[in-house]
Amino acid sequence: MPRYRTIPRRVLMGVLGATAAITLTACGGVKTTSSGGGDGEYPTGNIEFSVGASAGGSTDLITRALAQGIGKELGVSAPVINKPGANGALNAKELQAAKPDGYKIAVQNASLFTITPLTVSPEEATKIEDFDVITGISRDDYVMATSAESGYKSIDDLKKAGKTIRYGTTGVGTGAQLASALTFKSAGIESTAVPFDGGAPALTALLGNQVDVSTMQIGEGIENIKAGKLVPLAVFSAERIPYLPDVKTAKEQGYEVQVTQYRFLTAPKGTPENVKTRLLDAAKKTFATPEYKQFNEQNSLTPMEISPEEVLKALQSDTATYKEQLNEFGISLTG
Amino acid sequence: MDISPILNGFGVVLEPTNLLYCLVGVIIGMLIGVLPGLGPGATIAILLPITYGIDPVSAIIMLAGIFYGAQYGGTITSVLLRLPGEASSVVTVFDGFALARQGRAGTALGIAAIGSFVGGTVSIIGLTVLAPVVAGFALDFGPPEYAALGILGVLLVSAIGNGNRLKAVIAACVGLLIATVGRDTFTGAERFTFDSLNLAEGIDFIPIAMGLFGLSEILYNIEERHNQVHSPAKVGNVWPSRKDLGQAKGAIGRGSLIGFLLGVLPGGGAVLSSLAAYAVEKRRAKQPERFGRGAVEGVAAPETANNAAATSSFIPLLTLGIPANATMALIFGALLIQGIQPGPQLVTEHPDVFWGVINSMYIGNILLLIMSIPMVGVFVRILRVRPAILAPITVLITLLGAYTVRNQVYDIFLVIGFGVLGYLMKKFGFEPGPLVLAFVLGSMIESSARQSLLIFGGDPAGFLTRPISGTVLAVVVIVAAWPLIRKALPRKKPAAVPGDSDRVEEKTP
Repeated sequence: MPRYRTIPRRVLMGVLGATAAITLTACGGVKTTSSGGGDGEYPTGNIEFSVGASAGGSTDLITRALAQGIGKELGVSAPVINKPGANGALNAKELQAAKPDGYKIAVQNASLFTITPLTVSPEEATKIEDFDVITGISRDDYVMATSAESGYKSIDDLKKAGKTIRYGTTGVGTGAQLASALTFKSAGIESTAVPFDGGAPALTALLGNQVDVSTMQIGEGIENIKAGKLVPLAVFSAERIPYLPDVKTAKEQGYEVQVTQYRFLTAPKGTPENVKTRLLDAAKKTFATPEYKQFNEQNSLTPMEISPEEVLKALQSDTATYKEQLNEFGISLTG
Repeated sequence: MDISPILNGFGVVLEPTNLLYCLVGVIIGMLIGVLPGLGPGATIAILLPITYGIDPVSAIIMLAGIFYGAQYGGTITSVLLRLPGEASSVVTVFDGFALARQGRAGTALGIAAIGSFVGGTVSIIGLTVLAPVVAGFALDFGPPEYAALGILGVLLVSAIGNGNRLKAVIAACVGLLIATVGRDTFTGAERFTFDSLNLAEGIDFIPIAMGLFGLSEILYNIEERHNQVHSPAKVGNVWPSRKDLGQAKGAIGRGSLIGFLLGVLPGGGAVLSSLAAYAVEKRRAKQPERFGRGAVEGVAAPETANNAAATSSFIPLLTLGIPANATMALIFGALLIQGIQPGPQLVTEHPDVFWGVINSMYIGNILLLIMSIPMVGVFVRILRVRPAILAPITVLITLLGAYTVRNQVYDIFLVIGFGVLGYLMKKFGFEPGPLVLAFVLGSMIESSARQSLLIFGGDPAGFLTRPISGTVLAVVVIVAAWPLIRKALPRKKPAAVPGDSDRVEEKTP
């Protein structure tokens, strides 16, 4: 058993190690200055990226793309370990307790800090203050869509339908649920939420006309939108999204709803400055590679490579806005 | 239909590099399939970066090979060590392990390999010819249909048990109860989590199956060995006889069909198909009491069905862009990385990928069959290892396997807990099968039923008025009432029949 298990990983490390050794010699000289007289040169060992979700989801794929780049830049292996559970809270708790030495880091979702706290007890809520943010990564926007047969083209069409709209979401405490609930409430549309376990079943139910509309991440619906099987009604970003340039934002249609998912790289609180700088440099170099840019495009992700301060500010203002809007419209996400 | 893209697809597959990737994929798949816990999903995730550098078609051919290769491998531990690696091979354990104990492990593995090959191949032919038609059929299945199917599944669970009906129902109820553990996906309410974040997402299938089947068997055997001298299991024939094949023929045919059809349904399709195939065979059998004690059909039916289902689960991905399970989600991700978006346009935009993948499965299945024949002989020898050595190794595999799913030590304790539960169940004459299967179906029934009611606006009549769910529910009623109907109808054989079979059943441990 242990033999089989390590084989693929060992092969992988070998491959990564070999390429990494070459890149290290190439860029090592440039970067030694940034370590600022710390004790020893970070990193000397593997950097473990943990993911609070199962393999295959957006967070997992982003982590893998980033880990590969950062590992290559820093000349070490960067194994990705999946620790799914409690929407990522389990992984967050573990990361929080890990030694702040830069050898255990994780990509985390904004929704865990902005939306999940609205659905769980205060003790269980994960707080961003317990982590050091290294950099923002990318935005993963939501689109509300309906099936081509329904005939709806905009949010106003739903309003005119004059019936209870049944909408699929990707689960309780997700941005998809929040965005839809806010839209329907502020538009005064009678609606019932039907939560599904993730994007794939929500998409299936929509294609099969089991629900009237579904809100999901753009990457999940884009191919069916392009094929004309789904009609997009709105996106929930501040501005239109380059992947769906013809789709109006909710704001353009007169509804003040902005909900977005974004991800950022975190380390345990108290990680030394020089370590954070090294990681940030490596992340920036990764962001600039053509492979990574291509990865973003293929997954319909919008780069959001902002500073830690900006990430914190965005989290704070989103949390405040969501809370305020939910209160204003008297919406409870846990229905 | 235009046949040239299909033929071109064969051209793509027969390129030496693609053949090689196909071979590598199925070998890796078979090896990891043998290891419970480390499933195809985790393996594909680990190998994903390697695929960046290779041609899209080759990459997907290899990843698909890992997926269906693992289905072959998974049978081996189910039969030899009573360790089902996936929910869809739980049913195989009943007769597979019984055959192994009778020294007929080779028969079981051989039949499983042949059944898997036939099931896989039938399903690929179905995929080639019917993919777009069947994809539409999958979309007709909404939450109400899944709820009805799930209920039918639970009913079948109680039918496949071999012991006391009442005890099977009790075990199934415990399984349903365990399925409710975790944060409620509709309201976010905590259920039986005792403030533990580890329980927030519910309990995974792997620790339950590993504990109830694998570990409990070992615990029970240790006790048995104190009472009697236990010789290493004898290993008889390596290949199924002509008679075995004749017996399994019908089961393989029906299993292929059931597997292909149910496999198209995203979510529980594979589990339901293995369950349904087994139940159908048991119903049809002249001596249903053979099932659970080493009936060849009892291995052939579910193994054929789960392989057919694994293959047809590519249909929603390739034609609708819907990943049917976690492994499909990874293959979806791998395609995206290669710049290919799976969905309705795949067949026209990237015919080489579409047909290349499908046609590679024909080749992959042949490769797997060829590999399985010598492998059966090798694996069967595992049983010659003395229990004193085999048992600790099995425990180690079990615990490591459970750990690799979420990389949590917590899951190891879960396996031990369920191992003790399984041991106690065995002592008191309860079977673990109904518990595990009800557990798998429980969450599907609950969430589908609640989604349905939301869709219906709270009116349960909707279940009956929708054609498919209505039909399935009618079948449920017929199956449930069948014993009564049968009793009421002929009255030729008096009460001796049920009484007799009950007596036989109690003799087996």
